[in-house]
Amino acid sequence: MISSENELLPPFRRPVSRVVIRRAERYEADLEEILLETLREFNLPVRGKSVLLKANFVSPDPQKIINTHPAVVAAARESFLRLGAASVLVADGPALERDAEAIVESMRLREFIGPLQDNFVDLNVDAVRRVPLCTHATSLKEMCFPETVLGADFVVSMPKLKTHHWAGVTLSLKNMFGIVPGNCYGWPKNVLHWSGISRAILDINSTLRPNFAIVDGIVGMEGNGPTQGTPKPCGVLVLGDDPVAVDATCARVMGLDPERIEHLSQAALLLGHLQEAKIDQLGEAIARVQTPFEVLANFRKLKIKRP
Amino acid sequence: MESFRERVCLRALLEAQNQDGGWGYRRSSQSAVEPSSWAILALAGAGNLQGAGAAVQNAVNWLRSVQLPDRSWPACAGLPEGCWVTALAGLALYEQGIAEEAARGAADWLCSTWPAEGAVWRRWLNRLTRGQRVVRIDLSLRGWSWTQGTSSWVEPTAVALIFLKRMYAASAPSNVAKRIKLAEAMLYDRMCPSGGWNSGNPQVYGVAGEPLAGPTAWALLALQNYPERQENRQSLEGLVSAASEMRSPGSLAVSELCLAAYGRKISSLPETLEVAYDENRFLGNILVTAWCALALGDPVDWLCWSRAKEHA
Repeated sequence: MISSENELLPPFRRPVSRVVIRRAERYEADLEEILLETLREFNLPVRGKSVLLKANFVSPDPQKIINTHPAVVAAARESFLRLGAASVLVADGPALERDAEAIVESMRLREFIGPLQDNFVDLNVDAVRRVPLCTHATSLKEMCFPETVLGADFVVSMPKLKTHHWAGVTLSLKNMFGIVPGNCYGWPKNVLHWSGISRAILDINSTLRPNFAIVDGIVGMEGNGPTQGTPKPCGVLVLGDDPVAVDATCARVMGLDPERIEHLSQAALLLGHLQEAKIDQLGEAIARVQTPFEVLANFRKLKIKRP
Repeated sequence: MESFRERVCLRALLEAQNQDGGWGYRRSSQSAVEPSSWAILALAGAGNLQGAGAAVQNAVNWLRSVQLPDRSWPACAGLPEGCWVTALAGLALYEQGIAEEAARGAADWLCSTWPAEGAVWRRWLNRLTRGQRVVRIDLSLRGWSWTQGTSSWVEPTAVALIFLKRMYAASAPSNVAKRIKLAEAMLYDRMCPSGGWNSGNPQVYGVAGEPLAGPTAWALLALQNYPERQENRQSLEGLVSAASEMRSPGSLAVSELCLAAYGRKISSLPETLEVAYDENRFLGNILVTAWCALALGDPVDWLCWSRAKEHA
């Protein structure tokens, strides 16, 4: 179970978070070795547990520039199995395209993770359960969530490093929109837009906070993301057990100020650390990998101001 | 020898029916209105397949049992609020020629339910912010939303139109006829610049949206009364072209259902679906299984009403 109200802590009661940046210039690199070595440093409680990798599969992507790259997903899957996980499922509930099979086949996921019927779950058509929300940033009191997510022992949010035309960025917190089932809320999950995207991100993550985040920043997307932007080679994987801290680090890598990103600044109140001083930054230094991303005009205010 | 449709699709539907009479989106999952409605429609066309009649009757009973007091249907049993699947449940019941009162209730609910962008304050706000909007659509044209209190989108609008047009044919009362006209205009407004439809954003930040197979197929089915319109022809050609590259069974099946209404078909559909089934077992998706069963059967009048009328 990934939700627990005791994860909702104000920053002053929360221990320092750890975020690791690893260099990986190409998807052909030995990603499994990079991830396994990094995951071992976190000493994660996954032995004998069911792990769910919540990838970001948005739309058909034969060029593999929109979705979490299948090589990263496969490397994470193998790494968790090598750490002793009893099972590792890959899952997502795409927001706009109902045909999840078309999406995952377009990126040849089957060749990376094996038979889809055994290893992939379309969360949009999963059995659902009504769950009371732990915060009430939106006016929603409860939401339906997929049983596959609710039943997982350990959930990993695996977004791609991208800008987003409504939310500014789409990283590990925004990625959790994909657990909201289309069979209850439609395609798109428009109730989340009407509730306010930032507030909905907070309510979803406060209720089902991912245990870990792995961000595919080997090639990100800048400009009009999440689907119509421009590929942005960045050469990094960003990992950590505090999704807010991971997203804040990613934002800094993108040349964006996390404190100006509405959903991140709100999430920092209860869900994790935003301030650099509260994040133990391991692996590569941000300054060494920082790659400023182009953003749409209405998000220019998010850019880190240079003195 | 049994065809793939009978051997795999129809049998899978029979075997996956829940004890309560409904179907989940996947085998053994909680019964839901959308897969149950499509399974009813698929099995009702199964000829004399053993067990199909009883399965349909049980499913109809389940559907009627989960209709809400306001005569709408929720996505799954136990959810408190009706939504877009009301049109599908109404269609499934109407086409069986039974439970007409329940189907009429569905139509009444649909015609009295409006998407949220129609609220007066919302229209006023939209007028004020017209210059700043990043999505270029005409918000005065309204269809149906996925859930109550949200905006109109292509697929729920198309499915509601299919149901209402089937139910009332040429004799819709004026309030229904007006609603149909408004929703048709909304669909044309939401068409992508290159033809076809996605979920309902033809242009965001000045960038043309890409059409998707599902929404294009449903919209073209809902608008099949206008086969000569340029928008229909352009979208149909786009779908035909896209279908030649499709490998996913869900998209292939709904495209075939649509093309049948326009007298077209996808070549080698049975073989392609068999390959897709061998690869991924349709991901165990009951909805896809029902669509494939329908797509592999003869074209059905309730989905191809324009052509059925022509032939009559």
